[in-house]
Amino acid sequence: MNRRDFLQYTSLMPLAGMLPDAFAAGQRPDQIVLLVHLQGANDGLNTLIPFRDDFYHKARPTLAIKKGIPLKNNMAMNPYLKDLMPLWEQGQMAWVQGVGYSRPSRSHFHSLDVWETASTRHNEDRGWLTRVLPARASAVNGVVLGDNDLGPMGGKGSAAVAMEDPSTFLRQTKYINKQNYRASNPSLAHMLNVQNTINTAAHELERAYHGQHSKVKFPTSRFGRKLEQVTKMIINGMDTPVYKVTLEGFDTHAGQMTPHNNLLYHLGGGLKAFSDAMKQAGLWNNVLVMTYSEFGRRVAENKSGGTDHGAAAPQLILGGRVRGGLHGRQPSLDPSKLYDGDLVHTVDFREMYATLAQRWWKRPNPWASQHRPLPFV
Amino acid sequence: MGRLSFSDTRHLVTRTALGAEWGSTKALEGKTRQEAVNILLKSAPIKTPGLPALTPWANVTRMKQQSNMGKDRARKMMKIEGQRLKNWWMKHLLHTDAPVNEHMTLFWHNHFTSSLEKVEQPHLLYLQNQFLRKNAMGNFRVMLHAIARDPAMLVYLDGDKNVKGSPNENFARELLELFTLGRGHYNEADIKAAAIAFTGWGTDRNRGTYTYTQAKHDPRRFTFMGRTGAFTGDQIIDIILEKPRVAEYIAENFWKEFISDSPPDPRVVRRWAAVFKNSNYTIKALLIEVLNSDQFWSRKYRGTLTKSPIDLVVGTLRTLPFPKLSAGKLSHISQLLGQDLFDPPTVKGWPGGTAWIDTQTLLVRISLLNKLTRHSKASEKMQSYLPKTTGTEVVDWLLPMAPVLPLPTARGKRRMVRALMLDPVYQLK
Repeated sequence: MNRRDFLQYTSLMPLAGMLPDAFAAGQRPDQIVLLVHLQGANDGLNTLIPFRDDFYHKARPTLAIKKGIPLKNNMAMNPYLKDLMPLWEQGQMAWVQGVGYSRPSRSHFHSLDVWETASTRHNEDRGWLTRVLPARASAVNGVVLGDNDLGPMGGKGSAAVAMEDPSTFLRQTKYINKQNYRASNPSLAHMLNVQNTINTAAHELERAYHGQHSKVKFPTSRFGRKLEQVTKMIINGMDTPVYKVTLEGFDTHAGQMTPHNNLLYHLGGGLKAFSDAMKQAGLWNNVLVMTYSEFGRRVAENKSGGTDHGAAAPQLILGGRVRGGLHGRQPSLDPSKLYDGDLVHTVDFREMYATLAQRWWKRPNPWASQHRPLPFV
Repeated sequence: MGRLSFSDTRHLVTRTALGAEWGSTKALEGKTRQEAVNILLKSAPIKTPGLPALTPWANVTRMKQQSNMGKDRARKMMKIEGQRLKNWWMKHLLHTDAPVNEHMTLFWHNHFTSSLEKVEQPHLLYLQNQFLRKNAMGNFRVMLHAIARDPAMLVYLDGDKNVKGSPNENFARELLELFTLGRGHYNEADIKAAAIAFTGWGTDRNRGTYTYTQAKHDPRRFTFMGRTGAFTGDQIIDIILEKPRVAEYIAENFWKEFISDSPPDPRVVRRWAAVFKNSNYTIKALLIEVLNSDQFWSRKYRGTLTKSPIDLVVGTLRTLPFPKLSAGKLSHISQLLGQDLFDPPTVKGWPGGTAWIDTQTLLVRISLLNKLTRHSKASEKMQSYLPKTTGTEVVDWLLPMAPVLPLPTARGKRRMVRALMLDPVYQLK
């Protein structure tokens, strides 16, 4: 398959006469997305900080960050993200401020479902990426690492795989049938497609596993290891446009300061190593990193030195072709402008997806009737 | 009309019960369709396991109000008790003597969804589940009126938040969209109107009962589906039930459940709907009509439905003499397979059909079947309990159509059963 033409998807019907060798897929796509789920709901206000805003300091007598790294427009970055500073300076870091949705849910489960299915009505089974990237015959559209849930790549028409880690996945896939068979009805054809996706993923992972690895040193944390694995898959040319990893622990209801700083330190260090590895491989222009989280946290800190479930928050975007800077509008922290103590979103999260669909992948925007893309890429 | 073959009776039983027990499936061989359906639908006594220990809601509320930590503890406790309830149902699915009624209970759970995730209180879901079980083959009209008052449903679809001056349309919307008519057969104004009728309906969570608060009810007149008046919620339901579309909508759902994922033949739907409506919405009457139809028996549709996780897990263990796994283990497996009982993924329930199988669930399905059937002391023992019969009959018993992978050439019942269970066709019914 021509790498320029990776969007020209072939028919969904199983390929006839498939042999195990035939699981080899096409080439590495030119537009790859790495999604980073900040699990537990990241405190946006202590990540991208309105450090000159009195309301911020008033609402957070013990949690306000005083030594942020000023970026622009009175916004500062948490100092524990300092590893990422070179990317800001090179214009390869974008923040989209105030991302959220109307009538936000404060349930982790429900709100994550909203983000992943791009539906606030709890009535959509398909992940948003399943809608943006159509399935290709025997190809893998996404790899979820460190979680067994396909999340934004699940649902009808999904062509992604999820795994705790590649070696576990390879062990599990040993038992999957490798033979082709005659699929005489649509249910059987579907199963054959799924089987082929799994086998292709296993074949590709096996190849990447034994392939070259980046010389860049990754943090030895769980998060760092996952990013190293993603790097290996990308530099060894897997034909996969989306990777998803998770950084756990953002549900900081009590004693937030140290653990949250730590998490951002892991996030910054990991993504710095990832960007270095991509640059070294000459692929930084082909990759876009985007974080997301269930929701932000409340403006005011609670009595336990933590923050409870809130609403809108910023999203971080990195990449060689990203238009660096601050995008969107920071929501007001003025208590009279809050909704039930929460920030009111200024950017609907589906505008992020619309941007990736239209401007990054040059695909149709499934939310076009209501949500337009943003210029961060 | 001919007599049923063993393959026919397996078809009838796997699609309507939970798995296909050798004895009862074999017993239907040689009967006519009608005889077999009558035997299958003969009601058996339903005895569910004892209710698991659940903390009274008043205590939970107290705990939640104490502190943030109390809130956290309450949440964890409800999670544990919710799991107990899931295991309770799993146990019943595994052992019930009325598998067809239980199949239908699951069907209605998917139709009138409610989730522990939202409702939080296992006892309310328990009450709803027992209600669905008792009425699974009963009357749809009765069911609809009662489900509108069901405490779990009132919480799940925010009916308890629907009050005069601040209407919540969630229940009204799903009543029309998911429970009775389906999209395209009502408009937004009907939803708004219906929501008014249900204002004031609520629930006493401590007692697990329905409440009506006059002061929260909006008594104004409005127009609903072309009729004007100060209708009550019950009147709204009766107006909906006058529409021929309701019976068609349920008939379509039966088509998807019992016949095929492909769109139904509209003439067949109309015929079934007429039977359903003329029986004043008797569910059993509709089921009898469906199971006696040529479409149900058509070769064209054999092996075209994907087994649900419950079909696969519970069905396999009820069909074959493998050592039984604990209910806790089974609900965990079912959850991994995408069917977390009492926690459907969306208001629409589980999408079902081919969506049951994705890269993740196929891996879990195969690894489960592989574990069950691989050579071990337990599977060795299982061998002696297998029926003494021919290989052809074993294929007819376990698969809805011919296997697509080659069968083992070496002899051995256990080897044969393993090969059939690992054949892709085993995932279908």
